[in-house]
Amino acid sequence: MEEQKKPGEITKKDLRKVFWRSFTLQGSFTYERMQALGYLFSLIPLLKKLYPDSKDRAEAYQRHLAFFNTTPAVSSFIMGISGAMEQKNAKDKENFDISTINNIKVALMGPLAGIGDSFFWGTFRVIAAGIGISLATDGNILGPILFLVLYNVPHFLARYYGTFIGFNKGTDLLDKVQEKGQFEKVSLSASVLGLIVIGAMTGTLIDLSTPLSFSMQGSEVNLQETLDEILPKVIPLGLTLFILYLLKKNVKVNYIMLGIIAIGIVSSVLGIF
Amino acid sequence: MLLEAILIGLVGAVGILDGRIFGQTMIERPLVLGPVVGLILGDLQTGIIVGATLELVWMGIVGIGSATPPDVTTGGVLGTAFAIMTGSGPEVALALAVPIAILAQSLGILVRTINTFFIHRADRYAKQGDTGKITLMHWLGVSLFFLNGFVPNFLGIMLGSETVEAFVNNIPAFITDGLGVAASMFPALGFALLLQMTFSMKLSPYFFLGFVIAIYFGVDITGVAIIGAIIAVILYQLDKSDDEEVTL
Repeated sequence: MEEQKKPGEITKKDLRKVFWRSFTLQGSFTYERMQALGYLFSLIPLLKKLYPDSKDRAEAYQRHLAFFNTTPAVSSFIMGISGAMEQKNAKDKENFDISTINNIKVALMGPLAGIGDSFFWGTFRVIAAGIGISLATDGNILGPILFLVLYNVPHFLARYYGTFIGFNKGTDLLDKVQEKGQFEKVSLSASVLGLIVIGAMTGTLIDLSTPLSFSMQGSEVNLQETLDEILPKVIPLGLTLFILYLLKKNVKVNYIMLGIIAIGIVSSVLGIF
Repeated sequence: MLLEAILIGLVGAVGILDGRIFGQTMIERPLVLGPVVGLILGDLQTGIIVGATLELVWMGIVGIGSATPPDVTTGGVLGTAFAIMTGSGPEVALALAVPIAILAQSLGILVRTINTFFIHRADRYAKQGDTGKITLMHWLGVSLFFLNGFVPNFLGIMLGSETVEAFVNNIPAFITDGLGVAASMFPALGFALLLQMTFSMKLSPYFFLGFVIAIYFGVDITGVAIIGAIIAVILYQLDKSDDEEVTL
């Protein structure tokens, strides 16, 4: 039997390829295995180098076609970890338990999606959109531009450095983080920031007031002015919390939308709003 | 018209592909695509304003996890385009965009279902270690998503604009007024959808804190975000469940 070719060394350049490929994670998204094919596609530069033997490579390819789904922005971190584990396996096949590669992926995608969603969807995007919208409603082109910049600076940083941190010290770091419940701590802080900003948006971005007035002891009382003296913006606040209540009661979003249109038309005819 | 339809179709395609191959950088959102559509149709200002209105409505709608949400890209692109072409305001854009987004959602579901075929082929090629063919399967999925974005937006402009114009011109005034009220109520739905992820009795004070800072002290969103970030960091530091720092 001829001597086996040695696995190549993973370089910075290879990891940068994974970073770029990770953008296409959802390119062939399916309900069956979600981001699986995109995950494999992103790892190909590493796997090709690590497994010069075609049989080993085929096994590695099959391994990474398993179900995968996480927040796209943090996916490259998990890819880095997978890459580091594949490297261990390629160099020392006898002493490496191959099932740990997918076990770690599965164990990570849930918690990282949780933290990724609360940061990128629930916090960065909300803040960026809040600032962007408040400028754009006046027709200011800076609105959409700032929206993109504010969201994508943390996004690109996390995606780029995530690849390298995941590869270089991913598993060590995760052990430490999980041990101390840091995931929950960080998620909680992100949620708090998100909630504060949503509260501010509820108070400033919903332009809804009532023209209703009625006469009381001979003098005309404007309902909105009275409300403003008690709690300004109480109508937007109440409406938001009421819809939240409906959502928590599992009322379908599409029904709520239709309801809003119907209420909008009825209340405008009646002169309530 | 043909040129415009092709351009708008391409804008739709780029929007759909944002979450597919551009890493979800948010160019898919109405806030960004609105101005682009406005630029193509020669009314940037309306594009920006309509984009912002639709963004407020759909802020809470994001594709998290396995669910396929209403197609805010196609809804945003066509809604903005029709508003500009018919010379009507954000209310009409909203009234058109909401049903369009729900209709277009089914196309996205279709593509995600068809893609199953490609991943099964990829299984076979993986067994053979065929890198080239695996790559091809990935990009075939992408090409379907391209069509998912291009076709409805292109056809919408080519076939829809006259119908839409006739339709819009016949909407009675009381409906348009009502839609205006609905448009100002919609952001409440957007915020409620966002709150659904994080709101709890325990965390509710933070929501009210943000509300109060904004309305009583007149701090703008940027200012509130900075205050919020400081509070989040303080909270993190106060949580002494473990004193040792985890360093990257």
